[in-house]
Amino acid sequence: MRLYVAAQVSIVCGHGASVGCPMPDGKSVESYVSKRDPIEQGASSDGGSDLDANFKRWETETLAPALESAPERKEKFRTQALKWDVNRLYSPRDLEAIDFDFNRDVGFPGEFPYTRGTDPNGYRSRLWTMAQVTGFGTGEDWATRADYMLEQGLDGLIIEYDLPTTNGLDSDHPLAAGEVGRAGVAIDSLEDMERTLSFDFSKLKHLTSVCNGPQPVNLAMIIAAIEKKGIDPASFTLQMPNAILIEYTCVGRYIYPPEHGLRVATDVIEYTIRNQPHWVPIAVVSAQLYAARANPVQELAFGFSIAMEYLDSVLKRGLTIDEVAPYFSFITGVDMDFFEAIGKLRAYRKVWARLLTERYGAKGEDSLRLKLMSSPGTMSMTLQQPLNNISRLSMQMLSCVLGGGGQTMTSPLHDEAHALPSEEAIAVGAAIQNIVAHESGTADTIDPLAGSYYVESMTRRIEDAVMAEIEKIDAMGGALQAIKTGYFQRELAREQFDRNKEIEDGSRKLVGVNHLAKDDEERQIELFALDPGSEQRQIERLEALRERRDNTKVDAALGRVRAAAETDENLMPSVLEAVKVLATQGEICDVLREVFGVYTPDSLTSGV
Amino acid sequence: MSSSSPSDRPRTIRVLLAKLGLDAHTIGVTVIAKSLRDAGMEVIYSGLKQTPEMVVATAIQEDVDVVGISSLSAAHMNHLPRVIELLKAEGVGDKLIIAGGVIPKEDGETLKAQGVAEVFTMGTETATIVRYIEDWWATR
Repeated sequence: MRLYVAAQVSIVCGHGASVGCPMPDGKSVESYVSKRDPIEQGASSDGGSDLDANFKRWETETLAPALESAPERKEKFRTQALKWDVNRLYSPRDLEAIDFDFNRDVGFPGEFPYTRGTDPNGYRSRLWTMAQVTGFGTGEDWATRADYMLEQGLDGLIIEYDLPTTNGLDSDHPLAAGEVGRAGVAIDSLEDMERTLSFDFSKLKHLTSVCNGPQPVNLAMIIAAIEKKGIDPASFTLQMPNAILIEYTCVGRYIYPPEHGLRVATDVIEYTIRNQPHWVPIAVVSAQLYAARANPVQELAFGFSIAMEYLDSVLKRGLTIDEVAPYFSFITGVDMDFFEAIGKLRAYRKVWARLLTERYGAKGEDSLRLKLMSSPGTMSMTLQQPLNNISRLSMQMLSCVLGGGGQTMTSPLHDEAHALPSEEAIAVGAAIQNIVAHESGTADTIDPLAGSYYVESMTRRIEDAVMAEIEKIDAMGGALQAIKTGYFQRELAREQFDRNKEIEDGSRKLVGVNHLAKDDEERQIELFALDPGSEQRQIERLEALRERRDNTKVDAALGRVRAAAETDENLMPSVLEAVKVLATQGEICDVLREVFGVYTPDSLTSGV
Repeated sequence: MSSSSPSDRPRTIRVLLAKLGLDAHTIGVTVIAKSLRDAGMEVIYSGLKQTPEMVVATAIQEDVDVVGISSLSAAHMNHLPRVIELLKAEGVGDKLIIAGGVIPKEDGETLKAQGVAEVFTMGTETATIVRYIEDWWATR
């Protein structure tokens, strides 16, 4: 018991309400509740009952009269996503109720269970990598934007590809009409990737390439392009989400049936571990689950269950857990409920470390340390009154830093709900990161909210609920099974419906949407305008490529991809060869479609 | 559902909700599907990656009264006019065609001129859409 009292020193003093700050030795702790009735509590064994008595006294003597003149403004106070009751006041009683133990629950930074962060010195030695998502147009457009972003002080870039690319289709496919270069950059061949990667690599630390379904083709194109450019693959970190199981759950950019999707993803992971050991071949993008309205418990439980499917699948390739686990990374989304967000980030690290030790017997520190990227913004940006989003983003960025959002954070964008990011939004987003980093002081001490009665209660409650949900998914046969039976999809559909209902009935207030809303407001922000001609140019380029390349070589290379797909040979070497002779992404994926089949969800698994 | 004629007995309103092209944003269509079902309508969902031809074939096969297209990508002007054209060509242009999602005002006006009855943009309450369909059903 004594340890947690000591841990709360800074919090109690920080409120400025204390008349006798608890001493670090825990011997003499005066009541900070009442000046009239100081109580000895501290490390003594009867501290709990004294506190109980004092708590009750406060409720009757001080609180009750106040409530009489000013009743509470809501019947129930609940957290936003989890709908957990929020107590009026948290105190050591809440930590006793969960049998809180400093060493077991919190511990020290860089040590198990990593609640206080994976870096032993928090953000005091190194700030997080500040990254930015972007993607539109053709390869040249992307490279120009990349140079602009690197000049803004960002050192990590995230490439988003357009929908035809992420669905494994070429730009001239009928389903691609109207989508080429829209939601991301259009890639058909190695030449497009070379154009995309023609920015100044000397400033780049981190590159994330988001192309889940066709990830082997995408990885092959990046390897071949930087080889031609003469760039050392070890000079930056390439992170591939390779997160196909999330696509079946909510995003919808799947290609093959789930088992085959898992095999393709496993090929990418195994190949990267063996051939590009400084890169990160898997990121479980739980941010996508969050974007589909998963609450924090669902986000972590579904995400970790999915991660364990990949782990189990790679372990079958003859690698050990400590050879594989260090290559696993995660990307999370951060929402508006400040304490849910902080509790989620702290529980995220703890649950990963527990799963790896308890279930897999991992020993390596690098296996247990969660590699996390956090994305503020995305789903909480409103279309109405877009400048308000800047304030939302600052709060989310703050919760990222206070909760320990990991080694990389993405720059938030206040025009997310409107359009592709404008240059202004990118600059403001980068500024928000820097304001929190350099002006708020929150990055100057490690895990500053540790010991907060509320934050520790929230962290533990999320941890326990995530472990229980993972066990429930285990009982269904794991994540792949939960996807195939539509469990994840239906759970998310329910959350989506409930959230919409809360906004419509006003029980959840959103400023500018159902609170302080204005009719017919003018847009007040600069929006990015896309070049309407880029789709046609991309298609013409693709047609010219098909004419000019050596099609005999292409056919032979595609034949070798097919042969690999038909056996359990790793797809990467043959795909790399096909990419180098300028086979297009659509052509390579078509071969795989013929071998693996195409996934079509039914009414149960669509979630609708 | 035996007949498309409402004269004999009150029939349940049948609605096809469809996603066209590569647009995979499903939150809106999920919420609308449940809201329409809760209001007593029968809802058929097309699934993702549909072409206009596939949507029109489903609309005819399922004998729906309403075709609702959800679009949150850039390609609504590539696919939606084709759906209207095909429905007319198949002689079933009398179905109520509605659209929803991220559709700029100018595009919405163009679509209305071509035969879309109403465009429900972001922020429309589900009850508004339910009422719109029920009113159309009552007065058609």
